Amino acid sequence: MKLETRHWTFLGLFVVITIVMLLPIRLSVPVSEQTQKMYDFIESLPPNSILLISFDHEASALPEIRPVGLAIVRHAFAKGHRLIGLSLFAEGTVIGYRMMQNVAAEYGREYGKDYVYLGFKPQYIAAILSMGESIPRTFPEDYMGRPYEELELLRGVHNYDDVAAVISIADGSLTTHWMEYGAARYNLTVLAGVTAAMVTTYDPYIASGQMYTLVGGLRGAAEYESLIGREGGGSRGMLAQSTAHIYVLLLIVLGNVIYFLTRRKRGL
Amino acid sequence: MDRKLALGICFIFGVIMFAQYFSQHPMARAVNQAVLEYWQIIFAFTLLVGVASFMKSSFRKMRKPSDRPYQILGLLGLISMPVLALVWGIKAGTPFMWMFENVQAPMQATVFSLLAFFVASASFRGFRARSLQAAILLGAASIILLSRSSLGGIVSDYLPPVAEWIRNNPSMAARRAILIGIGLGSLTTSLRVILGIERTWLGGSQR
Amino acid sequence: MVGQFILAAAGEPGWFDIDKLPVFIISLVSIAIVLYTTFHRKSREKYQVREIAGLKAVEEAIGRATEMARPVLFTPGWGGDIQRPTTIASMNFLSHVAEKTALYDSRLVYPTHDPVIMTVAQEVIKESYARAGFPDRYRDDDVSYVTSSQFGYAAAVDGLISRQKPASIFLLGTFEAESLILAETGNSVGAIQIAGTDSTIQLSFFIVACDYTLIGEELFAASGYLSNDKSILASVRAQDILKVLIILYLIVAVVWSTIAAMNGGTTDGWWSF
Repeated sequence: MKLETRHWTFLGLFVVITIVMLLPIRLSVPVSEQTQKMYDFIESLPPNSILLISFDHEASALPEIRPVGLAIVRHAFAKGHRLIGLSLFAEGTVIGYRMMQNVAAEYGREYGKDYVYLGFKPQYIAAILSMGESIPRTFPEDYMGRPYEELELLRGVHNYDDVAAVISIADGSLTTHWMEYGAARYNLTVLAGVTAAMVTTYDPYIASGQMYTLVGGLRGAAEYESLIGREGGGSRGMLAQSTAHIYVLLLIVLGNVIYFLTRRKRGL
Repeated sequence: MDRKLALGICFIFGVIMFAQYFSQHPMARAVNQAVLEYWQIIFAFTLLVGVASFMKSSFRKMRKPSDRPYQILGLLGLISMPVLALVWGIKAGTPFMWMFENVQAPMQATVFSLLAFFVASASFRGFRARSLQAAILLGAASIILLSRSSLGGIVSDYLPPVAEWIRNNPSMAARRAILIGIGLGSLTTSLRVILGIERTWLGGSQR
Repeated sequence: MVGQFILAAAGEPGWFDIDKLPVFIISLVSIAIVLYTTFHRKSREKYQVREIAGLKAVEEAIGRATEMARPVLFTPGWGGDIQRPTTIASMNFLSHVAEKTALYDSRLVYPTHDPVIMTVAQEVIKESYARAGFPDRYRDDDVSYVTSSQFGYAAAVDGLISRQKPASIFLLGTFEAESLILAETGNSVGAIQIAGTDSTIQLSFFIVACDYTLIGEELFAASGYLSNDKSILASVRAQDILKVLIILYLIVAVVWSTIAAMNGGTTDGWWSF
């Protein structure tokens, strides 16, 4: 097989990232306004506040989205808030459950009292709208099959009026549905943890107040980790991500140099 | 007759869902809740259509020897995961979870990670300063890229604020305009569906 | 009576939520404009859509596939379902493409992530082939559901592109992170690619990697442009009228709030509802 130009660009990226991942260097990143706002929001809630955490992602984005979710869930548990987990993607169900279970164990939080996991509901638009009317009717049982009303935390939770906000941990555009249906229809406060590629999608929504704020990608996770003082996947991945950005930038420069040289050669 | 019935149902439910949006009356809320519950139930049945279609097309493609191994593997995956979940459950340490964590998740993450390579090759090939507009786009992209890397603040203190300005002003203005256009397109299409003018969703053509 | 309609006795919610009055008025105005442009014959006759480069290339793309004896691939992306307006616009586009592939005797491959979209697409393509006068050229196998998983779908479509090397690829619908994976693979097999989506973030990927990109609302206008269907063109006109109204509203609101702010007032007012 003959290697084409694009294969060389792939190979270059692979080599560069492999090398920097072996280096024990940690980059410090300044905290962005959006990440700070998320931190302040969770800080400012009175203890025992109830937050909905929706794991709206698949397994594919785990390396990027897991550090974001982990940092937010850790902060919420550390501040003594109570969490209700759910997923609007089948694959996110197990991932979310395992994450909440592990972090709860770290902070000595008890299932049923401090946190509950509702599991998965198909048809995300219908699920978001339905929870606005009645969460117990949308999820009559929790993930383990226990009746809704038997769980202490859920006894006073009927719909979005009884929760402080939803934090959607998403790898795609599902957070948009939380805004379009949860916020617009039921005045639910929407916050998000999203992959870096999705950050600019939500800029207009944050500016218009439809979304409160978000934590974006590995960099957002690294910022959040520095705020809660606990290193995680975000901080560890920052060097690799920064190097990849610079590598792409160099490729753009190189592509343009080649383009102008070829053009001059052709006498254009 | 079939089409008229479907169009009638669509019109009635479209009007009901539109009207209930403007009401907080308990009866309107109850109607909304009931419709949403039925919507979720009906959706579950559509998955069966998908499974049947996948099996049908896999069996047909098996006739071609070069495709056979892939089709067998696909069918094995389709059958084995529900069987593992039904027999051993889906808790931590079960065979289902082992397959999920060690086969499905890494495979999906692999395809996702291809994005990094494709971003590199697309940037190399596509970002050329062919015209003034392309050069402006290239400049803006470079500033944003640099500011998102750790070198941003080192190169110049002005870089992060300039990048923020690009994101919050020209870029946001363009995105808002596109979003408004899409919103209006969605609005008129939805109205056409409710009013029965748009019929493509029923299968077949508009004409 | 009106009071009871809005607020029932003892503080109980009434039939109409007064807080939603502005949205109700805007909805009624929008409905009236759509109805007017659709059913007012005179206004329908004069209207034309400007030329869109990507649409002019449709015929060329299908002709190329015929010449090269390679298939045409059409996929609606992973992000949509049948109730999404973008998917419906994509189906209208598909109907036109299918009619052309039937005429030119090109194979049309349609992989999707949604069983309902698959069923609708089968009917759309079948009817387009019948309309073109070649119902026997329709192949049920070529319209298939692959998987609902995002990157499973991306891998499946990527595999199809790599193995079958389509001469033309149509990426029209709601796309998410799979957009660049598909577009770059299509590019690597040398396919002519026409893309269009309502996902603003994926538009940038398509613009870099595809030959033609329909930006947002162009996708909605596309089906009207291609089929010259008067009812679709009428809704494009309704969008334009609504757009003018929005621009006027924005100008008035900006001027009003600026004057209010200059006089020491608040920038909030009747325009923020």
